[in-house]
Amino acid sequence: MRDNKRKYLCKLIFVILILQLGACGSVTNVTVNKSFPAVLSTPKEVTVAIVFTDEFSGYSGTPNNKTTIDLGSSQVNLFKSAFKGLFRDVYFLNEQTPLPSDTEMVISLSNAEVQVATPSENYLNVFEVWLKYNLSVTDSDGRLITNWFMPGYGKTPNAFMYSKENAISQATNVALRDAGAKLLLDFYRIPAVNQWLREKSSESKAQ
Amino acid sequence: MKAKLNSFIGSFLCIIFLSGCTAVTTIDEYRPTNESIRLDKTEKVVILGRRDAGHYETDSEFIDCVSKKINTANVRVVAEQTFIDSIYPWFEPRTAPKGLPRLKRLMQEKVVRERVTQQNIRYLVWLDGSTETMGQGGSISCAVGPAGGGCFGFAQWDKISTYDATVWDLVELTEKGRLRVDSEGTSYLIGAVAPIPLLTPVKSDACGSLGNQLKKFFTVD
Repeated sequence: MRDNKRKYLCKLIFVILILQLGACGSVTNVTVNKSFPAVLSTPKEVTVAIVFTDEFSGYSGTPNNKTTIDLGSSQVNLFKSAFKGLFRDVYFLNEQTPLPSDTEMVISLSNAEVQVATPSENYLNVFEVWLKYNLSVTDSDGRLITNWFMPGYGKTPNAFMYSKENAISQATNVALRDAGAKLLLDFYRIPAVNQWLREKSSESKAQ
Repeated sequence: MKAKLNSFIGSFLCIIFLSGCTAVTTIDEYRPTNESIRLDKTEKVVILGRRDAGHYETDSEFIDCVSKKINTANVRVVAEQTFIDSIYPWFEPRTAPKGLPRLKRLMQEKVVRERVTQQNIRYLVWLDGSTETMGQGGSISCAVGPAGGGCFGFAQWDKISTYDATVWDLVELTEKGRLRVDSEGTSYLIGAVAPIPLLTPVKSDACGSLGNQLKKFFTVD
């Protein structure tokens, strides 16, 4: 009877150890499915085509070989909302769709980088996420106005009571909001964009 | 006689332990004038946490706690996330105004001014701080065997809560006052077969003191 009990206990400990070791080598798949608030800004009177490539719309970031962040649909939602706050008339297209004839500016977005830092890496009690986007801004004839790299940063308040997936998801959501805020507040401060707008305005005055 | 002595020793030890579990809280207050801050019945207050520091951020749990303390029949408080979402992107961690000059520039934006007015928000209270665990001592170990299990030992740790509150008037665009709360206390964990926690509510003490003091700032007309 006692031997049976001991055997059962050994088996139980063995199963727990296997499960724990399995968890140590696990891959974290993070899905960010957040909606973003409506933007409070005054859009400028520019007609812009925003090109979301298939790669951008279905993007999954792999900051390291153990973490995958499914960013595609969230970043498309965020940028749709943000660009509507920047421009009066916006067309959202994919790379196959031809440009509408009244387009004045074309913006193509791509993911440049995704980085993640966990408490064991940054020696802080927080999870951190960095996102980097590249905005290629051209006029309707395809002439490059500027190539702008835009960062977004997010972190969790602490690491307490969070699973790794949940923590990275929360930090990514903060980073996306930060990227949207950065775009809304800084886009018209880019010297090349500012210059292009001034030229456009003086051209329309001359006409 | 022996039973009486045992119960006396038991109660004495309990009192000593429980008295060790109280937080010491200090509040510093600064106001430019002695007059209390006037609030119309329709006007509201919003309490926001600072989240721009690299190594800490004011947690939303603390903001909620202070909001609940202040939110009474007289003083109405707008929920932090509701306000931040309604005014996106102007009050995100990296874009929120850090000082009055930036607030004045921000309120010149027509859309921002209109949204604040639309929500009847008169005062903005910034909370900045965190709760940290400092000195840790002792050790406790738990073991489980076929015959049963238990924890043995003794552990203690100190917690310090430091929070600053700054009140801004969104109509006059001035600072109406500042508060600072420091609360500290030691918590214990005694392992006597079952682990017995004797926790000092440092953070909730800081929240209670700060909330009550902030409530005294406002007078509703």
